[in-house]
Amino acid sequence: MGEFKVHRVRFFNYVPPGIRCVAYNNQSNRLAVSRTDGTVEIYNLSANYFQEKFFPGHESRATEALCWAEGQRLFSAGLNGEILEYDLQALNIKYAMDAFGGPIWSMIASPSGSQLLVGCEDGSVKLFQITPDKIQFERNFDPQKSRVLSLSWHPSGTHIAAGSIDYISVFDVKSGSAIHKMIVDRQYMGVSKRKCIVWGVAFLSDGTVISVDSAGKVQFWDSATGTLVKSHLIANADVQSIAVADQEDSFVVGTAEGTVFHFQLVSVTSNSTEKQWVRTKPFQHHTHDVRTVAHSPTALISGGTDTHLVIRPLMEKVEVKNYDAALRKITFPHRRLISCSRKRQLLLFQFAHHLELWRLGSTAATGKNGDILPLSKNADHLLHLKTKGPENIICSSISPCGSWIAYSTASRVFLYRLNYEHDNISLQRISKMPAFLRSALQILFSEDSTKLFVASNQGSLHIIRLLEGSFKHLHTFQPQSGTVEAMCLLAVSPDGNWLAASGTSAGVHVYNVKHLKLHCTVPAYNFPVTALAIAPNTNNLVIAHSDQQVFEYSIPDKQYTEWSRNVQKQGFHHLWLQRDTPITHISFHPKRPMHILLHDAYMFCIIDKSLPLPNDKTVLYNPLPPTNESDVFRRRTGHAFKISKIYKPLLFMDLLDEGTLVAVERPLDDIIAQLPPPIKKKKFGT
Amino acid sequence: MVQLRPRASRAPASAEAMVDEGQPASEEEEEEEAEHGLLLGQPSSGAAAEPLEEDEEGDDELDDEAPEELTFASAQAEAREEERRVRETVLRDKTLLKEKRKRREELFIEQKKRKLLPDTILAQLTTASQTDIKKSPGKLKEVNLQKKSEECEKGSNTKKVKVQKVQSVSQKSYVALRLKDQDLRDSRQQAAKAFIHDSLYGPGTKRTTVNKFLSLDNKRSPVKKAAAQFLNNAWGVQRKQNAKRFKRRWMVRKDENF
Repeated sequence: MGEFKVHRVRFFNYVPPGIRCVAYNNQSNRLAVSRTDGTVEIYNLSANYFQEKFFPGHESRATEALCWAEGQRLFSAGLNGEILEYDLQALNIKYAMDAFGGPIWSMIASPSGSQLLVGCEDGSVKLFQITPDKIQFERNFDPQKSRVLSLSWHPSGTHIAAGSIDYISVFDVKSGSAIHKMIVDRQYMGVSKRKCIVWGVAFLSDGTVISVDSAGKVQFWDSATGTLVKSHLIANADVQSIAVADQEDSFVVGTAEGTVFHFQLVSVTSNSTEKQWVRTKPFQHHTHDVRTVAHSPTALISGGTDTHLVIRPLMEKVEVKNYDAALRKITFPHRRLISCSRKRQLLLFQFAHHLELWRLGSTAATGKNGDILPLSKNADHLLHLKTKGPENIICSSISPCGSWIAYSTASRVFLYRLNYEHDNISLQRISKMPAFLRSALQILFSEDSTKLFVASNQGSLHIIRLLEGSFKHLHTFQPQSGTVEAMCLLAVSPDGNWLAASGTSAGVHVYNVKHLKLHCTVPAYNFPVTALAIAPNTNNLVIAHSDQQVFEYSIPDKQYTEWSRNVQKQGFHHLWLQRDTPITHISFHPKRPMHILLHDAYMFCIIDKSLPLPNDKTVLYNPLPPTNESDVFRRRTGHAFKISKIYKPLLFMDLLDEGTLVAVERPLDDIIAQLPPPIKKKKFGT
Repeated sequence: MVQLRPRASRAPASAEAMVDEGQPASEEEEEEEAEHGLLLGQPSSGAAAEPLEEDEEGDDELDDEAPEELTFASAQAEAREEERRVRETVLRDKTLLKEKRKRREELFIEQKKRKLLPDTILAQLTTASQTDIKKSPGKLKEVNLQKKSEECEKGSNTKKVKVQKVQSVSQKSYVALRLKDQDLRDSRQQAAKAFIHDSLYGPGTKRTTVNKFLSLDNKRSPVKKAAAQFLNNAWGVQRKQNAKRFKRRWMVRKDENF
């Protein structure tokens, strides 16, 4: 494996924004997640829970509701009073439409998917018709006295239930008038609270309305008579979310204490037909408020203030007990937030609204393997670059020479030139970026920092030549006709001749930068690409997919390499395929052409192509072999995958020079320390 | 205390009284007089100060005393002198005011010059504006130029050029909106955010602090670690500084004692 000096970086002060809504789409098996800063992420549950797309957030867009309608169309609504539709192909916002009812608290699509219902701050419930390319306001329902915080549609589409403060109303969709008003008890364990907020409602096909409220109750109402049928007190704090399975035999609620309760419809006695809702399983995977839950056919999905997205498969629904039945906890984004300048040993950290540039520390001391060396020079915070405007940063990059910084928001691309004079650093903005560079999904500098590659969300790739303090547009690779798919990942070969680009689903395209034409397309694979890199000298393209497969493709020969064919023939180790975080970065050792360095959030791996591949009987995660063992033993146990799990959660790892690595970690405790306060819980014995 | 009133018209009469009585005024009153003189904007010499005081007193005392003899010529001269002084002060005030106005005007002109772009650029703009607007008839629709006077039009033309420059950088870098609506929307959004914060984190929501939460976690975990405020440097910065200061002070005190 070789010995490295490792910079262990823990000053990347990144806190993922809390999760506000999740929406599950049964047709495509995708999950949309919106966060408190307005970011919307799309997870593909069939592709190993990979976050394949994301829409950057916006300061004024606090998303409060998210729903799928008409099959695959995604809508969101928020406190700025607008309904947005997202373009899932081009990865931008199709349009924003003001609902004219003040901040929107809830939105839900009709069971047929052709209508959209929003509940507003001023107590109005508005019905929108979904047309093929837009939405159109249809009518208002009877206005309510207070804000409509939750909505649910009867599966037949004839009635809706709306939860407000202190009451739930049932509307007739045809007439638009309220037919029942059910007052929720404010009392909480004998103490009258100020108000009772109905955080969520669910309308079942038998006419039962289930409500969850801030008094910690789950209540069942009969919508025909408007009476309370049953009440479960399940929490000491708010119950904030509810989601019902499509079969209506189970539902899930999330509480502010971080507990998720599973309710199931079970027979009263073993052979009677009478069924009853029973609280069956509590799950405590969160530490903070569970703001939202979803119920997929096989799993319970929950997310909240503690920024984790938890997917808990239901054991009785899982047919094969394979690794898919395991609990998934997704905390960090599946894209790179850090870029590194090797020459100057700089790290660029990307936050929602600013960039930070750090110079790594250095040490004069030496030690043996495993020693922690004292720093002779601390890491320097060189630059804090704040963005203008309310939009979040989509991507950022620093050039390998360290003298250029580029970043993009949803409407503009910014380029800066850095000048270093001894210890001073000066920043110069390159103005007049060309008009076609409106927003970029990925920005990359060539190895010699003379070219800038920009992947725009229209599917085109721009090549820009960088001169001293200015730039020149060289070429634009237009997407193949008929496709509008955005390119998300870029890789350039160290000699600057080849550029590889990959979208969210189609294969990887390789362009010849010298002749400015498409060279070849790597055959498409079922799973999305998570990382790309081109090896020096050999120009082999290494591609990692979300199912943990790694391919090596020779660009000059336009075919997979021998090693890659061997790997596919023999297959990866089963433990390798069971890893649940995607590989986010690949790099190469300049002096050892047989090595591929890659990492995911929980391990760092060097693949040595010269060694035999492990089969399922060998130990994958081998600790370092004892040095006093014979050479024969070492050769027998040694295999191609050298894995280190010392650094975790690992957000970034790269090779600085031949003997130095930089690892950026983000301990979970540091994130918890910056989250909003949780609910107080009494623990026995403390 | 004597009440003082400005009485410029009666100044000659008071001058008369001054000649009659050579009475020295008490110290207190003299101070009052000085203040008064300042108020009037007249030089507060002894001659101007004393008569007023005399006059006030004269109301009570001098009624029964006969006025002393005074030659007409001296009284006239005195009166003329007084009149001249008053005229002079008025004139001086006027010139001062004029000067001040002049200075301010000069400042305004200078400021205006500073705001304006250099002449060369201005010349370029005026020549460029004609051609640019012809190229983009669509944008002209946005601003209704016809009803405006020649001068206004010229001003908006230059503005138009600026807008176009921005557009060339990115097509949609600005949005036109009514500020009134935006304010209303912002305030509603703020209110909505306040509501959600209040209902989740407000009083009566049984929230603990992050520190307590972490320490409880630490207490129950098999591996005990240091408390969060010692591991996380961002926490309790103020308290740490206070502690450091206290320690330094305590050490200094100890050094002094021994």
